[in-house]
Amino acid sequence: MQQLKRLAFGVALAALGLTAAARADDYTSLPRKETLIVENPEGTIKNPGWFNIWVNAGAGVSTGLQQLTMDTLWYIDPEQGLGGSTWDNSLAADKPQYNADFTEMTVKLRKGLFWSDGVEFTADDVVYTVKTQMDHPGMVWSAAFSVQVASVEATDPQTVVFKLKKPNSRFHALFTVRWNGAWIMPKHVFEKVADPLRYDFANPVSLGAYKLKAYDPQGKWYTWEKRDDWQKTSLARFGEPAPKYVTYVDPGPPDKRTIAQLEHNLDIIHDNTPEGMFTLKEKSKSIETWFPGFPFAHPDPTLPAVIFNTQDPTFNNPDVRWALALLIDIKAVDMASYRGTATLSALGVPPTAIAMKDYQAPMQDWLKDFEIDTGKQKIKPYDPTIGQQVADLLRKQPKFKDQIPTDPEAISTAFGYGWWKPNPQAAAELLEKAGFKKSGGKWMTPDGQPFKIRMTVEGDTRSVFTRAGTLIAQQWAAFGIDAKAVPTTNLWQVALQPGDFQVAIAWSVETWGGDPDLSFFLDSWHSQFVAKKGEVQPPRNWQRWTNPELDKIIETIRGISADDPKGIELGKDYLKLVAKEMPTIPLMSYNVFTSMDTTYWTGYPTIADPYTDPVPNWANSRLMMVKLKPAQPK
Amino acid sequence: MTPYLIFVLKRFGQFLLVVFLGVSITFFVTHLTPIDPVEESIGAITQMGQSDPNAIELMRQSLRELYGMEGSIWQQYLHFWLRLATGDLGPSLSAFPTPVSTIIMRSLPWTIGLMTVSTLITFVLGNALGALAGYYRKNMVLKAVSLVCIALLPIPYYILAFVLLILFGYLWPVLPINGGYEMNANLNLSFALVLDILEHSILPALSLILVGAGSWLIGMRALVSNIITDDYVVFAELGGVPKRKILRSYIARNAMVPQFTGLAMSLGAIFNGTVITEIVFGYPGIGNLLISAVHAGDYSLVLGLSALSIVGVAAAVFIIDILSPLIDPRIKVE
Repeated sequence: MQQLKRLAFGVALAALGLTAAARADDYTSLPRKETLIVENPEGTIKNPGWFNIWVNAGAGVSTGLQQLTMDTLWYIDPEQGLGGSTWDNSLAADKPQYNADFTEMTVKLRKGLFWSDGVEFTADDVVYTVKTQMDHPGMVWSAAFSVQVASVEATDPQTVVFKLKKPNSRFHALFTVRWNGAWIMPKHVFEKVADPLRYDFANPVSLGAYKLKAYDPQGKWYTWEKRDDWQKTSLARFGEPAPKYVTYVDPGPPDKRTIAQLEHNLDIIHDNTPEGMFTLKEKSKSIETWFPGFPFAHPDPTLPAVIFNTQDPTFNNPDVRWALALLIDIKAVDMASYRGTATLSALGVPPTAIAMKDYQAPMQDWLKDFEIDTGKQKIKPYDPTIGQQVADLLRKQPKFKDQIPTDPEAISTAFGYGWWKPNPQAAAELLEKAGFKKSGGKWMTPDGQPFKIRMTVEGDTRSVFTRAGTLIAQQWAAFGIDAKAVPTTNLWQVALQPGDFQVAIAWSVETWGGDPDLSFFLDSWHSQFVAKKGEVQPPRNWQRWTNPELDKIIETIRGISADDPKGIELGKDYLKLVAKEMPTIPLMSYNVFTSMDTTYWTGYPTIADPYTDPVPNWANSRLMMVKLKPAQPK
Repeated sequence: MTPYLIFVLKRFGQFLLVVFLGVSITFFVTHLTPIDPVEESIGAITQMGQSDPNAIELMRQSLRELYGMEGSIWQQYLHFWLRLATGDLGPSLSAFPTPVSTIIMRSLPWTIGLMTVSTLITFVLGNALGALAGYYRKNMVLKAVSLVCIALLPIPYYILAFVLLILFGYLWPVLPINGGYEMNANLNLSFALVLDILEHSILPALSLILVGAGSWLIGMRALVSNIITDDYVVFAELGGVPKRKILRSYIARNAMVPQFTGLAMSLGAIFNGTVITEIVFGYPGIGNLLISAVHAGDYSLVLGLSALSIVGVAAAVFIIDILSPLIDPRIKVE
């Protein structure tokens, strides 16, 4: 017996020793107080050893690769940015310089920036990036460069001159990070490679302040280490990055993320369910969120909306689209989908950061005066108090009542200003004006068929919007329309791109967030790009809506520079037009439930200090590294 | 040429035909789905901030060429077979240009490990219990075990998987419920890693074993019930041969012949993976890989996985067929 005990003890010791050895160089062995642990929303990476971000190879980009090691000419922060501006000259020393007719762009580069292997960054890297991608169709930015660039050359080590095939006042957008951008390639590495399209870039050379330390060959985590020479990177202008190590992990489904953060093993959750967020706020004293109380989440510069397929004859009439908008009770939709945490928008622009200042707030008076003619009466459909009403509704819930803001401006920022007031009478008049008739309690189309609507939603993939779409369909059904929500997988590819849908919940509006220029999405809404029925629609005008007035607005925007103040006025013209025409029914911003644990790190971005978007898969989140402070002594 | 050799050649011809038809059907089914790998890639590239429709169209053309998706479906079909004839499964379309074989080889060991161990445990357990239950028909414990196995049998394994997940993952959280190993594990071969992998495989394996053992048990019990009335068993009992010996040497050995055929089929089907179990438990095997390939419209990867599965099952059947006349004296090749 004694021998058996000895043997068991020996085996246990050996197992412990082996365990310790096995864990010696994984990310949990790193000093926790110097390590920031972040969720990578891409999950487990299918092709974990692939770091060539210039080829779309099913590999991760939000593993820290784009946030910590890549760099390009400019960034626009979705929030206020560091250095007093949302615009950031990163590798470029200044803003892009165009000639008078926007056929040439000159870029001046910063001096003294180095790759992590000690080679200096120069204009040759930029030229190489463009030429290599043009020469290799299939690389991520190859087509964009091929379509636009006539020639590119380095006139000196810090100057690059692009000659364009045709005028384009927004060519620099390709090199401007919103979420991502055309990252600059290390010429000295790739020029030695036989085929850049088939090169995995397994030991990535970094232009950012961090370099690769280790990664899980099964794709579950990636760890990056601060460069010793971080001062030789563009981020150094803002200070020294605080975390020595940053690990991006796949922590699993929302419940596991929540548990991991409650146990202080996950510093930043990229996104959670509303319910997961409520649990964290209730159970943890160390959680910080964008809004300190309701609605907690950060509004992404994307606008989920009810999108009509305007090539379907039923939905090519604005009266029908408006009728359907007036049947939506947005408060109920908000409660059903986001549990009251949505930031609502009646306008065709997400209610985020600068858009609030440049569009939402200044257009409130216009919205209040805005009228539609139902054929029998003129109504003012806008209710400017909806945001306030949502706040009042939430205040009745004992659990949250103290977290609901009371200041009207804070309420507008958190919940939005107003939205369209439900008006079934006006909706009925508009449908009748369009030739629809009600028979036996059911609405019939002008050609005598039952008015059927199938609302395509994404099912479990995006359950918040599935719940919204289901409720909207129910509200239409209660009015006598045969409406149902139909889930599909691959909504974008199966329904939106081929135009194989009637109505869907998705987004066709994405903005820069921190910049009022709407060209990022609006240019692709021009009628020249609308596909014929049955053909694949290029992004992003999924509604396939055409309008001569819209074309005129877009063409005028194309002819002015991106920072011309006229751009905002043209943006307002677009917003007035889409409010009148309602090609999509704007609902709310895409709120992301990011939560940040302050046990090991403080200084995260919040509405009180909105220096960047907290959502950590955005490349702009590199700014966090210089603002974070260790919460505990080493 | 001996009759047996003619039989083997005929069966080999059938094997090739099954593989050809199976792979061909998979080729056409995957190519006729509405999901297109080029559009998946375009979607990913669009997310990277590109919205110029002219550039998107050019990118679409480039990718179509790069992915070998030009020409008619018949030209693509011919090209596919020419490539496959050289053993080349081509590049994955959702992880281009990484070869399909590389991606499959990352996931295959997980499925083979899980399925082989659970299939063998299921086989041994089910047959042992079935033999005992068939022979000792009045034993109350064996009766109860049989009843439990029979009750579990009609439950779909994925339902049982969810039940196990709730029981041991949430109500009594003693076992890991996600992945093949701890997220932060070091994958250098070590005792700790082996323990970790075993721990992660318990619940997925259990969901397969609990359901699978029942079918082996019922089959074996029925076979044993038939054999125990055969003359040689009755004579042995009358002759005073010990019961254990009768069960082991007279009954079980004879009953095992058809069971081994079933085992070979099960092992051949390992290449199918267990899609739902792998999804429920987030297990990094080929079942999970297949689902992600289907969602991404990655024809090459779906075809690679399907070809593997078709060849696996067809080869198992072929081997059983050609071995049966050699090991079972009741089968003769004319």
